[in-house]
Amino acid sequence: MINSVFKRGFVATLPIMPGVIPFGAVMGVVCSEAKLSLFQTVAMNFLAYAGAAQLAAMELMTKHAAGLVVIATALIINLRFLLYSAALSPHLQRSSFFTKFFSAYSVTDQSYAVVSANQSQLTTSPDVVRFYLGTAVCMAMFWHLSVIAGFVFGNFAPASLALDYAVPLSFVALVIPTLKNKTYVVVAAFSSVVAVLLHPLPFRIGLIATALLSISVAAMLTRKRAKS
Amino acid sequence: MIDSFYFWRNILSIAAGTIIIRGSLIALANRIRISERTKELFSFIPSAILPAFIAPAVFFHEGKVSWLFEKERLAVLILATAFCYFVRSTFWTIAFGLTALYLLTNLN
Repeated sequence: MINSVFKRGFVATLPIMPGVIPFGAVMGVVCSEAKLSLFQTVAMNFLAYAGAAQLAAMELMTKHAAGLVVIATALIINLRFLLYSAALSPHLQRSSFFTKFFSAYSVTDQSYAVVSANQSQLTTSPDVVRFYLGTAVCMAMFWHLSVIAGFVFGNFAPASLALDYAVPLSFVALVIPTLKNKTYVVVAAFSSVVAVLLHPLPFRIGLIATALLSISVAAMLTRKRAKS
Repeated sequence: MIDSFYFWRNILSIAAGTIIIRGSLIALANRIRISERTKELFSFIPSAILPAFIAPAVFFHEGKVSWLFEKERLAVLILATAFCYFVRSTFWTIAFGLTALYLLTNLN
């Protein structure tokens, strides 16, 4: 029987699918245009399972960039996962090897954000893990299906619906519940400004640099409280 | 056309590197003790990283509506943020934002 907390995690992830499905479809279209086989497309998505890094790697591979550049770019983009898994790791201390492995493998921006947005309703670590697994399974299912749909049918979403905008919108909806007090709001505002300023940097370094700078600001702002 | 060996070598390396990034701290979860202070800082991760996805995606997007200086996505984002603050629903925030953007760009 499927645990109810797992189900809650799955259901809580459904509203952000309008942002995930078009992104997956674009991934499928890019793979099809690069003349990859369906097997290569599906295998890449299962093995790497990191949309932004895969898109960057595909872009570089179609231009025949040096292998090291392709790999380094993708891994730099994926460095942010280190932050998410760091935050999840305290909850996984007592979990089985399989749960730890699947949890690590399925860390994504969306699954982590959905858990963060709902964390106040999850009282124990096992509940956090079950909820997280629900979000992770939902994400994986929709991601792989939309990649395959994009590969087979091309970009099926009408451009006038601007579904790419659902990605930033879903992040807005997920970040708002995590802004518990003024300090969180200041950190979020700082992150927005710095991200825009650092956006021109190559290999999306701006993203991880913004995250680290913003956490440093959070550390400074909360230092006094931590000392007292 | 992407050479098969070149493709697989890159993808397998990315997959291996990514699982190390994703899994190293989870694998070490039993061996490292995470202080309350560190946990407090972890709680800032969403507010530190999610706006870094939102702001450039919206700010650098060239829209179609001239009277908003082609920044209708920015205007809708501000409205959607206010809407989300009161409604606290992921589904309705996305529905509101997409509808507002559609109306602004198509009914002008």
